[in-house]
Order: sequence, then C-alpha cells, then structure tokens
Amino acid sequence: MGTAPGRRYGRNIARILFPLIVIISCIFFSPPAFAQDPPYCEELLEAARRQKLHDDRYWHILMHYQQRIIGIESLIDDPNFFLAPDGKTNPVSELEATIRAFFAPADNENASAVCRFAARFEWLTEKLGIDTGRLPVPACRSFENFMEANRPSSVTLAFPMAHLNSPASMFGHTLLFIETADRSKLLSYSVSYSAVTNETFGPFFAVKGLFGMYPGYFAVLPYYAKLQQYSDVDHRDIWEYRLNLTEPEIRRMLLHIRELESIASDYYFFQENCSYLLYFLLEAARPSLELSQRFHGWLIPLDSIRAIQEQGLITEASYRPSRTTKIRHLASNLDGHGQEKALALAKGDVQEGTFSQTDLSVQEQRTICELAGEYLQFLYTKRRVPEETYQERFLRILQMRSALGISSENGLSRAPVPLQPDRGHHSNRVSLGAGIKGDDAFAEIRIRPAYHHLMDYDGGYVEGAQLVFADVALRYRPEDRRLFLERLDVIDIFSLSPRDRFFRPISWKLSTGLFRVEADHDKDRLVYRINPGAGFAFGNNTEGLIYTMLETDINIGVVLEKNYSAGMGGSAGAVGNLCRFWKVHAFVRDIYYSLGDTRNFFEAAVHQNFVINPDQSVSIEVCRSRTHDIYQTEAKALWNLFF
Amino acid sequence: MKKLVLAVVVVSFIAIPVSSCLAANQKNTGCGLGSLIMQGNDGLAFQVLAVTTNGTCGNQTFGITSGTLNCEQPKKFVSRETINSYVADNMDNLANDIARGQGEYLNTLAVLMEVPEGSRADFYALLQSNFSRIYTSPQVSSVDVLSHIESLM
Repeated sequence: MGTAPGRRYGRNIARILFPLIVIISCIFFSPPAFAQDPPYCEELLEAARRQKLHDDRYWHILMHYQQRIIGIESLIDDPNFFLAPDGKTNPVSELEATIRAFFAPADNENASAVCRFAARFEWLTEKLGIDTGRLPVPACRSFENFMEANRPSSVTLAFPMAHLNSPASMFGHTLLFIETADRSKLLSYSVSYSAVTNETFGPFFAVKGLFGMYPGYFAVLPYYAKLQQYSDVDHRDIWEYRLNLTEPEIRRMLLHIRELESIASDYYFFQENCSYLLYFLLEAARPSLELSQRFHGWLIPLDSIRAIQEQGLITEASYRPSRTTKIRHLASNLDGHGQEKALALAKGDVQEGTFSQTDLSVQEQRTICELAGEYLQFLYTKRRVPEETYQERFLRILQMRSALGISSENGLSRAPVPLQPDRGHHSNRVSLGAGIKGDDAFAEIRIRPAYHHLMDYDGGYVEGAQLVFADVALRYRPEDRRLFLERLDVIDIFSLSPRDRFFRPISWKLSTGLFRVEADHDKDRLVYRINPGAGFAFGNNTEGLIYTMLETDINIGVVLEKNYSAGMGGSAGAVGNLCRFWKVHAFVRDIYYSLGDTRNFFEAAVHQNFVINPDQSVSIEVCRSRTHDIYQTEAKALWNLFF
Repeated sequence: MKKLVLAVVVVSFIAIPVSSCLAANQKNTGCGLGSLIMQGNDGLAFQVLAVTTNGTCGNQTFGITSGTLNCEQPKKFVSRETINSYVADNMDNLANDIARGQGEYLNTLAVLMEVPEGSRADFYALLQSNFSRIYTSPQVSSVDVLSHIESLM
C-alpha cells in the first residue's frame, strides 16, 4: 500500500520539475540570439528564408559576392562591411545578421544598421514588406535630407585619358559623377574608386598596385576637385559619357555608395580596379545590367566603357580638353609672333603698352592674353614659378584680358573634338601574315592583349604614344618545318611628344622582352632585352613627327659571349600620316655593344600601315640590318584584326 | 604571368621618389590665387610605372559634407558654405573666366548666386568690366572676392 502512491507522487514531481528545469536552463544557458530575437524579427527571418533572399541577384550585387571555384566570396575585404563573422563567404548568415541588426537599438541614427547599410535596408523593406514603425530606427533621415537638398538627377561616366608624355597612363581612369537638379556640372558629386596610399617610392607604388597591396576606397568629392587634379594638374583630356539612369535608379546607387563609405577593398590594377568596382554601382542602380559577371581576367577602363555602351546606358558623349590641349589649341590660332608675345607675357614681360605698338586684332589680343594665362598656370603647376610671382603675374594678365571685352567667336576658343575613345580600335589584336628573312620564307602569327601601337590607327587614342603589353610573335618556316617563338614583347612603350615654344618634353621609350639576335655562328637566337631610350621629337600630329633618341641596350642570353651584351647608340626617324588611312614610319638605329659580347648592330627600316576600318589594318614592314658585318633583309606583310 | 613579368621589370628600375599627394597652404581668411599647390608625378621613371593606382591620399574620402578641400573658412560665413567653398576651391579658374567674361566656372557661380538666366549676360559683362574692383590685389582672398562681387550687384 505504501509504494504505489509514493511512486505516483514521485512521477508528479518529476512531471513538474522536469519542464521547470528545462525552462530554467534555457533561460540561463541558451545562446543570446535566441533569447533576444523579438517575434517580429523571427517573422522577417522566416520570410527571408522562404523567399530565399540570400540567393537573390540583388543581394549578391550589394554584397559584391562572386562565384569562386568552391563557394562564394565577397570582393570586399573590410570586416566593417560584414555583420556576420563569416559574412564574406556566407550569404545566408550575412542576410540574417543584417535583419537582426535592424532591430538593434542605436544611440544615434548614423550608427544604426538602417543608415550604415541603407541599400540593404531599403531592399529588404521592399522584399519583406517591413513595417518600419516597428523598428527602433524607422528610416535614415540624414540620407533623406541629403536627397531632398540635392535632388540628384543624372549620372555621367568620366574618362580621363593619358597624361602628357605618359603612355603608361593610357589605360586611363573611370569615375562617375552625379549631377543635381539645378546645379552645374562642376558642383556634381564625383564617385571614384582608387587606391589610397602615402607611398612615395616609385617601384613599390606600381608593384603594390598590381598585387592588391593597397586598400581601395570610394571617394566622393565635388567634380571640380577631380577636374583640378585630372585636367589642370595632370593635363588629361576627359570624355564625359552621360548615362540614362532614372531617378529611382540613381537613388539606389546613392544608397549603395553610402554603404561603401570608408569601406576598403584590396585594389588590383588589372582586375579589381576603378572600372570593375563601378560595375557594382551601376548594377545596384539597375540589376538587370550584365556587367560584373562578364569579367574575364582583366579589365581595361576603355573596355568597360564599351561594355557599358553595349548595355545601352550611354546617351551622349562630350569632350573636355585638358589645360595642355587648350594651350596647344590657343597657340594654333596665333602665328609665331603672337605666340612669342604670349610666351613673353607668361614669363613676366607684362607691360601696359604691350599691345599698343602692334597691329594685332582684338581677337588676337584676347587669344594672346588667354594663352598667356593658361600657360602661366601650367608653369605654376609644374612649380616653375613661385607662388607670389604667379599671383602677381596672373592678376596682371587677367586684368589685361578683362579690358578686351567678351569674345563672340566661341568656335575659336574650343579645341577641335577628336574621335570618341570607344570608337577607336579595340584593345586585343591578332595579326596573321607572311614574309621573308634572308632566304627563308615564314608565316607569322602575333597576338597582343593590350593596348595601342604607334602604327595603329590613332583615332580615339593619344597620338605619338605607344603602349604594348605581352605581344607574342610566332613564326613557322616551311623549309625546315619549324614553329618557333620569334619575339615576345613584355612591354614596349614609345612616347613621342613634340617640343615647341611652350612644351619641352623629353620623348622616351622602353622596350623589354625576348627577341632574336644574330649570334656569331650565323644563327639567330633568343635573348632577353632591356632597351630604354630618351630624346627629342618635333612636329605635330597633322604633319608628322621627326625624332632622335639616345638608347642603351642590355641583352642577356646564353648564346652570347659572357652571357650578356650591353651597349649604347641611337636612333632617328620620322612618322606621319601620308593621308588619312596610310601611315609611314621610317627610321634608322645603330647600337654599339661594347661590353660582353661586343658587336655593332645597325638597322634601317620602313613600316607602313593601311587602315581598312578602325578594327582592321594591313602592315607592311621592310628592314635591312647588319650585325657582325653580315647584312640581312627582312620583309613582311600582316593583316591585323582588333577585337 | 603578365603581372609577374611586369613587376620584375618595374622593380629593376631605381625610381626617383615621387609624391603624389595634394598639399595645401593653410590661410586664415579663405584661399588666395594659386593656393592649392600640387606636386606632379613627372619623373620619367615614375611614368613608366604608370598611374597604376590612380593614387589619392588618405585625406580625401567623403567631401560632400565638408565642401572645401583644404582652405579654412572664417566661421561667420557658415551659412553660405557652398558658395564660399566653391569660390575658395576654384579661385584661379574663376578669375580666368571673369576676365574672359564667359566660361563654365563663371556659369556655376551665377547658378550658385541664383542669377536668373535672362540676366546672366549682363552679370558676366558687369563682372568683367569691374575685374580690378573684384581682384584688388594679388593676395586677395576668396572671402573678399565674393564680397566685392556682391557689392557690385
């Protein structure tokens, strides 16, 4: 009689106690998230899971997620961009962490997730129908105030081209600027992605830029600030391509730009560069665009403009000449006498009676003053004039100009507009052809991924500038059935920049790669060459250029005596367009190698190029050379295709 | 491969140390002509290495709210920040346009000062003919330039 009631009693206690113990341990030992998720948050998380929002393309755009061989990874490297510890590689946990973050209280609005990740917030609000009244921070008021005060109305892509005498900068840069409803272009907001560094040592600068060792940031500045840098100081012509983004699209882009404020991403010159990061901004505005996923290994800014053009974004293009272009143009409107006067003014010979003893027309006087002012500013940015001198002289020149009235001949003051860069030849080039070297015939195939050769059709490119990367030439000799590497240009830069009264640049070249030399035993062999040169060029782009250069050449190879050969010499030549589609470059070159494998090398050559259309041309090259007193002639014809 | 080769070549040069940062004169009463001193990347060796990074320096990230680049502004003009910043940051180009009586920088000033479009031609002519009253000395500051312009209107 004693056990049954006892056991029942025990079971009852167990029935009450056991759940109590479970509840108590849940309260004290459960992970904090589960204990603190408000029910509305749970609801939203459930909805997000059901809709599979972590797989949504827009989520991947905002997070800069890219498909890798295994899994997904965001291109952004800054941990501040991610709310989940594994957010960089896990779209699901980042999405959930984001939703949870909207429920976190914040001291000030700007620190809340609603403001810090405004684009995510707006997108998730739309997708999940979030009742923002139930959140501690219902909206990002600072962003709304900014939008109201500025009313962004259009977006333009700016493309600063090469620096003067700097073919290496031919790749250019791309940035966006956002114009507001009633302001002018100068006051628009430029958005530019670039590497941030205080580095001053040249080679480190370049190497680090190539290998992602600098952090890249988006900088937002008034467009006039960028113009000062690119147009006035760097002297780069700028093309401005207006895009057809609508106001809601611009709003989405600005929300995303806000998220990227002060967020770093490793900067890679060839891949994750200014142009590639802009793709994400454009896709945030219009997710139907197909830009970032078409990436194939490297991205040249001009190619990104072509891609954007293909996606139907560009409505018009306008040209903004740099200061140096303006100077050249103003000078071209004056004869030698007028140019001398302008030069004298800029150099300090400013007198009241400068124009009184002359028969210069008013328009000429205006041009002289304007040219003097621009040129003086140029000298100042090159630090050739001290500040006080600059201020005094500049003011006096401007005073002179202000007494001459307003010019009605607007056409004269505007530099002629060159061909749009995206309408020039494409970046990749393949060439097929045949030729004879000595007694042997050969077939040749060349391929080059970038960028522009002196002999290529100039339209859309800076004239006199050459930048060639990784140009490979293979030859096949039917006589002995040999296929071999004829030449590999790792880099081949050539910069012909004419000297005149106003500009005295030093033209230069740098060529390095594998090429063939005649070794002593009458066979040609591959050696590695480093060949820099510097000199002068004269002339202009319409009539042609003549140049002369001093060169050094270092060859390294086992076929050479002592395994190397080094020497000095020079070259001289003339290059120009005989007519619009026919370009000729004739030159001679003589190098005396006095160290290592000593020899003398001389060549005289004529290269011609016939343009069929911007993307097709035919080259004919004839060259006579002499090494070790052995003469050799080579002639070839190639058909070039750009794609 | 391309990058590696380029890097090898690049490192084989002993380049002239180059600075690519903006430096500025700090003046107390706004900016004068030529006040943003720029150092250019014009060493030959540097050019070979290209502007691989379009380098900007650490001090320029978000300038929307601050407006000015590098010039100090006197506190009492805080309410007219935009015009002040604009004139301060663009002294030289604006002076150039005023002397010519036309130009983009002058247009922008007219927009900021809310000059109606129909009156702009007169506005430009007025400024041009009073150039010496606006730019009174080589060291004139942006604050003075603006107040001189306003006293003409």
